[in-house]
Amino acid sequence: MSESLKLEVDRRDGLAVIYTEGYINNQGGEEIARAAYQLIDAGHKTLLLNLTGTKIVNSIGISILIEIIEKMIEIGGRLAFCCLTPTIEKTFHIMGLAQYAGIYADEPAAVRGLAPGAADGPPADA
Amino acid sequence: MVSPAGTAPAAAGWEELEELAGRDPAGRPYLERLLARWIDDAGVRGAALYVERDGALRRELAAGEGAFPARLEGGELPGGMVHRVDGGAVASLGGPAGDGAPPQPATLLLASALRALTLRERLKRQLFQESYRVVELEALYEVGLAIASTLDLDQLSEEILLRAVSLLDARRGALYRREGDDFRLDRTLGGEARETLVAGDPALAELLSAGDGADLAEGGAHSRAPHGPEGLLPGARHLLVVPVGTGPSPRGLLVVGDKESRKGVGPFGASDRRTLSMFANQAAIALENARLHRQALEKERLERELELAAEIQRQLLPECAPEVPGYDLVGWNRPARTVGGDYYDLLPREDGRIVLTVADVTGKGIGAALLVSTLHSALRLSIGPTGDAPALAARLNRHILESSAANKFITLLTAELDPATGGLAYVNAGHNPGLLLRAGGGREVVELEPGGLPLGLLPGSAYRGGTAALAPGDLLCLYTDGITECASPADDEFGVGRLVDCLVEQRAAPLGELVAAIDRRTREFADGLPQLDDQTLILLRRHAA
Repeated sequence: MSESLKLEVDRRDGLAVIYTEGYINNQGGEEIARAAYQLIDAGHKTLLLNLTGTKIVNSIGISILIEIIEKMIEIGGRLAFCCLTPTIEKTFHIMGLAQYAGIYADEPAAVRGLAPGAADGPPADA
Repeated sequence: MVSPAGTAPAAAGWEELEELAGRDPAGRPYLERLLARWIDDAGVRGAALYVERDGALRRELAAGEGAFPARLEGGELPGGMVHRVDGGAVASLGGPAGDGAPPQPATLLLASALRALTLRERLKRQLFQESYRVVELEALYEVGLAIASTLDLDQLSEEILLRAVSLLDARRGALYRREGDDFRLDRTLGGEARETLVAGDPALAELLSAGDGADLAEGGAHSRAPHGPEGLLPGARHLLVVPVGTGPSPRGLLVVGDKESRKGVGPFGASDRRTLSMFANQAAIALENARLHRQALEKERLERELELAAEIQRQLLPECAPEVPGYDLVGWNRPARTVGGDYYDLLPREDGRIVLTVADVTGKGIGAALLVSTLHSALRLSIGPTGDAPALAARLNRHILESSAANKFITLLTAELDPATGGLAYVNAGHNPGLLLRAGGGREVVELEPGGLPLGLLPGSAYRGGTAALAPGDLLCLYTDGITECASPADDEFGVGRLVDCLVEQRAAPLGELVAAIDRRTREFADGLPQLDDQTLILLRRHAA
């Protein structure tokens, strides 16, 4: 696994997806935060973090993800995760991220869940 | 980096502020309105509230006009004023000239809000740390669970390294496994690692004798050793290394490098050593379990292959002896292992003759069994119409030389019987002499001597055949040296003499009983020692007149 996290951002209508590849540690978390805040500044209020390429997250990374979640709540936005390894998913549940962000098995399910009117999406009339 | 402040909302009245504080004294709406009030009371163009976090003043929110940096370096704002309060600061721009005293009571209220905010954050951090303890315990528990499961060794090794690195908030890591006296790199995460750690290196020995591991900090004595930070995980400044497994010969090493925090990287602490050691001890058991499982699977696979090879080999041997009018005939074989290197054949020809063959391949196990298979095919293909035994041996020799490895050869005795006359034409390629026990009650034995080298030894070997004749009541015994070289606990050999004794004593018994008697006598002679070589017998007796 390479040292620094690689990111890809896919901007769609009503949703932005951040794909991660690598270790979500301090550096990786800051990369994600930078990308997320840029998207927020550009007006995106619904974010999906696809962690297909990530097998490891440490506590620093988790704390940064929590900050991003808090920011999303502050602006009335939504954030969800998908494609987590079982270990990472369990960690997110223990650390409480699952209470404030949706966790989905795959991207299609996450996109459905974040759609307007859906459980994790904005209100249908937003 | 600086960013422009937003437009300040209209200054809130005290009643409104009191209501907002009542709802949430550290909440965003209250802070925003309070800051707007502060701006208004201070007569400044804009202001920002900074919270002290991780030793730095970080902007929490800003209002009004002016640009306020995300962090206040040195606690100063160029061109502006900074008022320190408990837990943070209020920075302002565009204020009136004067002593710059902050307005009251807005400043006091802001300080109070900051205290509430700080307390809230402290509680959040505490909750975070407690939750992460649960994550650590879960990791230890799950590694322990792996003991009871049949995890793939590679998958388990990767999982162990991933968990160790993330648990310790390390930036990098490596897992080593023991091979002999050295430790070989099994896998690495986050960067390169040294391939081999040689046992006997003083730094490594000290590291292992340190019990729970050693922190090889930059500048310390260890950093100059070959396995210091620059050697073990190149580029890492702080290491923590623990043995995987307890005792003087650990099964491996778990290495993590550079503990992360929001401020950067730093050394590992005592609690990190404890956590990693506990994890490594659990991991050792899980890894050993996975290794044993892999060994068991491999053993099972080998056993299945051996069984298959044994079955194939059994099919090469005659299922039962053919009927030869006027004669009794039996063949018997017992390999020392699942598959063996002995071979025998009882091949009736169309003209009524029968070809008896016994052979012994060098070595044992699968390799020998494969050569036996080659011999079987070669023999069946090479037996010509004339039954010329020396020519047959020469053909077999050529075939075996072409088909086998340089260090493999076969001793063989093949004899063709003409049942009508009792005539035997044979060739012995380096094999034990066949024994022809004459009828009459005595010990007169004619030996069918070697007439050439074993097959597969030298190209172009010449063979000399021999002849003998079975009179009524005569008994022919072809055998392999697994019988005559069967050893006793005193290291004696069973020998040809004892074999002849069996033949003499049981000369009139049914051949099946004679085989059983020879088998019984060799076992008694071995007195519990395991059978070391394959054993084969062919017995042929011409009916008495």
